[in-house]
Amino acid sequence: MDAFTQIFGFAFQYLDSAAYLILAALGLSIIFGMMGVINMAHGELMMIGAYITAFCMYGGIPAPIAILLAGVGAGIAGMILERLIIRHFYKQLLSSLVVTWGLSMIISQVFLIMFGPNMPSLPTPFSDIKILVGGEVGFALVGAEGFARVTGETGRMPPGVESFGIYRLVMFAVAVLMVVAVWLLLRKTEFGARARATMDNPTMANALGISTPRIYAYTFGLGSALAGIAGGLFALTSAITPYFGAAYTARAFITVVVGGAAGVINGLVASVAALGGVQTILSNLFSVYIGFVGMIAAAFLILLVMPTGISGYMEKLRGRSR
Amino acid sequence: MAGRTLLNVNKLRSGYGNVAVINGLSFDVKEGEIVAIVGRNGVGKTTLLKTLIGELPCQGGDIEFRGRSMNAVPAAERAQLGIGYVPQGRGLFTGLSVEDNLRLGKLVGGRPKEMNFDRVYGFFPILKTRLSQIAGTMSGGQQQQLSIGRILIGNPSIMLLDEPSEGIQPNIVQEIGEIIRRIRTEEKLTVIIVEQNLDLIQASADRCIVIDKGAIVDEILPSDLDDPEIARKYLAI
Repeated sequence: MDAFTQIFGFAFQYLDSAAYLILAALGLSIIFGMMGVINMAHGELMMIGAYITAFCMYGGIPAPIAILLAGVGAGIAGMILERLIIRHFYKQLLSSLVVTWGLSMIISQVFLIMFGPNMPSLPTPFSDIKILVGGEVGFALVGAEGFARVTGETGRMPPGVESFGIYRLVMFAVAVLMVVAVWLLLRKTEFGARARATMDNPTMANALGISTPRIYAYTFGLGSALAGIAGGLFALTSAITPYFGAAYTARAFITVVVGGAAGVINGLVASVAALGGVQTILSNLFSVYIGFVGMIAAAFLILLVMPTGISGYMEKLRGRSR
Repeated sequence: MAGRTLLNVNKLRSGYGNVAVINGLSFDVKEGEIVAIVGRNGVGKTTLLKTLIGELPCQGGDIEFRGRSMNAVPAAERAQLGIGYVPQGRGLFTGLSVEDNLRLGKLVGGRPKEMNFDRVYGFFPILKTRLSQIAGTMSGGQQQQLSIGRILIGNPSIMLLDEPSEGIQPNIVQEIGEIIRRIRTEEKLTVIIVEQNLDLIQASADRCIVIDKGAIVDEILPSDLDDPEIARKYLAI
């Protein structure tokens, strides 16, 4: 493998792992940062998004619309959970953790009873389009025909050529778009200002006429909708089961806690950049398993030095320089 | 100056949990009045304001604003009806910009189509030059101006100020007092001010209600506080 192929492969993996972490953690990060609730049912909201996407696509609805509907559905589900249960546990870290954990088990059991242990899998979009790098090809974006031409009669890749699916890059682009959209929503809109004010000082926000319960419900709905969209995107690349969410929850949590609650977006981005980097380097050097273990070790070290996460640490530094 | 009764507090009881801090307190405030609430530390002045805005529940008695009972009205709605609150410590959203802080006051007194930025700059010109500054990085006096300006962006009919002199240089205290009087005259606002600072009380208030142990014990004029005996008795000096 030549150097360019290696670098490209590394960059591809980095973007892939960053997309994974951003998508899994963005909704959770908003709910944790803005409301101080540890939502253990986050993965189940992703799972709901995956199921909605699946049912829509079985019915012939195109993937992008199905995924948007997954966001809407999970958002509504999240708002119902917030109104009925979660609003009683704001700012109570441990209680919220236990309650949402219970909820997560109930939700996945209900899905198991209703829809069985697995669902027919969905086709991955753009699976025909590939990026080929290295060897005699150099660098090429090919469709099914081009791919067949390169592999020739043997059906095998020529020596030194690596193939990369394009859907992973689409996921990364969507992840970045989602981060930008959430940033704009929080920074540039009236809802965003009210949500940040409520996070900063709920009593005062209330005394200025802002209905804080409504802000909480919308914020939880927003976090849930982002989980639903992420679930829909992941549903196109993995098996859809009632326990779909559990795989994402752990990594989402590590990412959010390392990011810290002081800055929802910049904390998340910094955390993803760091953890995704560690994971990619170690996976490349050793194995995927070591990559995951290394990510947890990195999280452990970061939290040892910065107990309130990266954004909390930055906040402290800024406060000191003032 | 004084017109109809705007606020009527009748046998009010309030406090934290089962502990009644305010115990059977009654008074009226008329439109356009500036009423100072004075008394030593811990007699329930801040508790009274928090109960008026709905942060603490009314445990007995009644609060009437414009003839309507506020007891069952939640805090956010009271603000929208025109009760503007400038708390002790100023209650700014310290991580947000000056402009964001100002904009967040627009619900006070209902939903005006336009925010009254010019009115705010008229009283506090410094804010116009600091719009993008993070609120928490301003000086105490500027923060106080922002906190008052934030409710003037909306359409309050009454302004409740809790110790506006706290943490402010003495030479600015007089200025704040004059601005409070200007706000009353120019904007026809009613003001209740909880204060320990003699200068500020005398620079702003029309009359003083004296509280002790959660009840009203006296009503005096600001000029009565010139008597050191009275000042020592009623203020935490």
